[in-house]
Formats: sequence, structure tokens, C-alpha cells
Amino acid sequence: MDFGPHLFLAMLEGAITAAVLALTAVGLSIVFGIMRVVNVAHGEFFMLGAVLAWWIATIVGGPPALGFVMALVFAPVLTGLLAALADWLVLRRIHYDPERTILATIGLLYVIQQATLMTFGPEARPVEAPFNQRIALPWFEWGADGFALIWPWGLGTTTYKLAVIVAAVMILLALWVLMTRTRIGLIMRATQLDREMAVAHAIPVEKVYAMVFALGAGLAALGGVLTVPIQQAHYLMGGDPLLLSFIVVIIGGLGSVVGTVVAALLIGMSDGIISVFFSPTLAKILATLFVAFVLIFRPQGLFGQRAS
Amino acid sequence: MLNVKDIEVAYDATQVIFGLSVVALPGQVLCLLGRNGAGKTTTLKAIMGLLPLRAGSVSLDEVVLSELAAHEVPRCGVAYVPQGRRLFTEMSVAQNMDIGLMVSGAGRATREKVLELFPRLRERLTQRADTLSGGEQQMLAMARALCTEPKVLLLDEPVEGLQPSMIALIRDVIIRLKSENVAIVLVEQQVDAVLAIADTVAFIEHGRCPETMAARELQNDASQLRRYLGV
Repeated sequence: MDFGPHLFLAMLEGAITAAVLALTAVGLSIVFGIMRVVNVAHGEFFMLGAVLAWWIATIVGGPPALGFVMALVFAPVLTGLLAALADWLVLRRIHYDPERTILATIGLLYVIQQATLMTFGPEARPVEAPFNQRIALPWFEWGADGFALIWPWGLGTTTYKLAVIVAAVMILLALWVLMTRTRIGLIMRATQLDREMAVAHAIPVEKVYAMVFALGAGLAALGGVLTVPIQQAHYLMGGDPLLLSFIVVIIGGLGSVVGTVVAALLIGMSDGIISVFFSPTLAKILATLFVAFVLIFRPQGLFGQRAS
Repeated sequence: MLNVKDIEVAYDATQVIFGLSVVALPGQVLCLLGRNGAGKTTTLKAIMGLLPLRAGSVSLDEVVLSELAAHEVPRCGVAYVPQGRRLFTEMSVAQNMDIGLMVSGAGRATREKVLELFPRLRERLTQRADTLSGGEQQMLAMARALCTEPKVLLLDEPVEGLQPSMIALIRDVIIRLKSENVAIVLVEQQVDAVLAIADTVAFIEHGRCPETMAARELQNDASQLRRYLGV
């Protein structure tokens, strides 16, 4: 395959990584933005989404589409409920103290990981995609008869992969509407801007925190569910999404949702392209290096605001 | 009637309020006067439930506010305009007022009434709160509080740093609220501003309230002012 089609394919793979990463990282970002909690267990919520998706699809049985749709609805909800419980039992009791929440969520990471291992076992679990037709993609070339479209061998994707991108965009739009157009979004933003004043205006901040933690975990779980037909579910799969989410959130600017989405595109695309042409390890090395430079030259992130 | 009775308040290990008692009556302005660090702001925060009480109680009519969770206090009819305004800066004027309206579940009528008091805000409903001038921000902080339809309004230095025309406007609003039977607790440093509108003055010193007197008496005899404020 020539360079052009090859790059096109790499960018497509990158867009899928970016889409899932945007969902996961936005979850981390709103939890940090509103609660000031650095959630080290965030990758485990991604993993839980994937593993629960397999579990639900297996229980439901029937056609793959039915199991997948049930998983898409219930895996994030179950993960969210579990996160709310973790918030209520752990984070609330340590008063959301920044340092102690880091330690607590490290503990949570291992608890969730090992509980998943003990419950579902160490095997990698596949989930069948609801639909998975192969689409050949066209490329162009200047031949003897001028401009012509060709269909190079190996240049193609599947309908499911494209659907992941569409689904991620729709979920992010829905989140944007929730945050900016609804009463619950107003309450969440008020809590973020001034916690004490939110309390002084009858906002039950602890309930808002539990809800935000659940929402953040639910978004990570959605990323996991969407990923699992492409990449199998496994109890150790939370590491990469956690690392990449942190990279994205730091580059985008802590707590800035727009910055997080832009950075997810940037990192997802470069991860896809570098992985295809060089190696996935190099992609992670470069992304981490980029974070280091952002922290040196623009510590508030690309879209973050300087603390006044 | 807001009844603050023998409250003791501490920030972690440092006690700031030692058995302070004051009473605010409907339709009257109670002014807390005292030097910096005497415990005036702390008293207001304690009334709101934002700081836990070590002892004593705060009650509004029959409801014991100090037994409630902090976020339930505003629903009972206590509104707070803090020092430095503390608006929800990234939100619009309208959204800041919406947060207030949500407290009481009040609707359009309340919003209209509040906007009548502060017509300037009506022109700026979609503007971000942090782009307003200082005076407009103070208006918005009061509007946000009034949207909760309070029975008691706590005002912490509402005219600090404002130009005279703004001060006059805010004084007019306070007088109007008095006529609507709202109990007002005012923390203020400027003695002249206080004496013009206060009904009762409570002197605060070292976290206690050693003396309460009618504002009228103070106008005739300023010796207490010298004693507690050094002016």
C-alpha cells in the first residue's frame, strides 16, 4: 500500500482511539474540575465497563445487537452506581482532601481490579459487535486517464468502528447539553465555581459530588463498552486508558472540558498514526514527553486558565 | 425572629466566637459593629451553617437552624450576601439569579420583582457575572439572595468600595426590604452608613457581644462607638 492510503488508514484508527479517549478523559476532567479529586481509579471504571459489557451480553444472549445494546445502557449505569457508592463510603469520609483522595483512589484501583479478577477470572473476553460489515475505502490517483478513484487492497474499515466515532460525538454533545442547558448542569457548575456559596444556596454538595463521580465513571465505562468489540475485555486493561486520560487532561487543561476534547483528538490521532508507522510504545513515549513540555511551558494546559 | 443564642465557633483548634447572642427582628436592621477580626463574618457564616457550632443554637421562629444540614438552612428563609460578593463568576447574570430562584422554588414573579429593584441587571441578563462593574456585581449578589425570598437577609459589608450613588441605591433597597418585613443583619464598618438605617446595633468584641443598643441612642451619645471601634 502506498503512503497516502496508509496514512488515511492510520488517521481513521487514530480517530477511533481519539473518540474513546475523549469520553474517558472528559469523565476524569469533570471529576477533577468539580470535585478537585484526582481519580487514579478512573481506568478501572473503563475496565469495568468493558468487563460488565461482556457479562451482560453473555447473560442476555440472543442476537449480538440485543446484548450489546443492553450492555451499552446497563454497564455504565452499574459502574456509575458503584462509583457513587465508593464516593459515599470513601471519598466523603476523607472530606475530599486532595492528597488523601489520591491515596484512596489508588486503593480503589486495586480493590476494583482484584474484585474483577476474583469475580470474572483472568481470561480476555470478547463481545461481538452489533454490526460489523467491512467497508472498502476509496483512494484517488492520477493515472494515464487523469483523476481516478481506486479501492486499494487493505484500505478499509468496519461499520462498527465508524459507529464508535459517531456514538462518542453524540455522547459528548449530550454531555454538553447537560452541563450548559439543564438545571442539573447549572448546579454542578455552581458547585465547581464556589462550593461554599453553593451550600449557601441550598445545593446539597455531597449529593452533587456523588452524582459527578458516578457520571465521570459512567463516561469511562461507556468508553470501555464501545471498545470491547474491538479489543477484548480483561481485568488489567485499565492501565492504558488511565495513562492516556491523564495525558489528555493535563494537556487540555485541568477541568477544561473543551480542552480535554481537543487534546483527546490530538493524542488519539498521533497515537493512531505513530502506532501504525512506528510502534505503539513510541506513541506513548512521545505523548508523555509532550506532557512534560506542556507542564514546563504552559502548566495550566492548552485551554486551562491560570489560577488568579 | 432570628435568635442566635450563646454560640461558640472555632476554625479547627482556634476558637473565634465565645458565647455570642444576638436577635434579629422582622422589619428591622440589626447591625453588627466591631473591629477587624472581632468575629462578625464568622457569626454570619455560623448562622448559615457554613461553620459548625461548638455550643449554642441558631433558630428562626420555631425552626432550629443549627440542627439542620448547611444546605437546608437557605430553604428555611435565610439568605447570605457574603463579603467580596462571591458570584458564580463564569455564569451569566440570569443563571446566578436562577441559582437563587431554585432555593425557594420561586418563579417568574419573584424574578420580576427583584429585577425591578435592580433595573441595571435586566439590561445585562446574558452577560457573564465577572464582566460586571463592582457596583453591578454587588447588585447581583443581592439579587441572587433576594431571589430566595428570604425572611432573614445577612449582608456582609455590602457597600465596601462602592461609589456614593451605588451606596444610596443599596440603602434604598434595604429600606424597602424593611418595609416588607425582612429581618436584616448587616455587618458594616462605616458608622455613618450604619446609623442612618440600623434599628439596633450589636457591638462585637473578641467573639462576644457585650452590648446591644438602639441606633437612636447612639446618634445622641457616641461614647460607645469610641469604646468599641476607637472612632
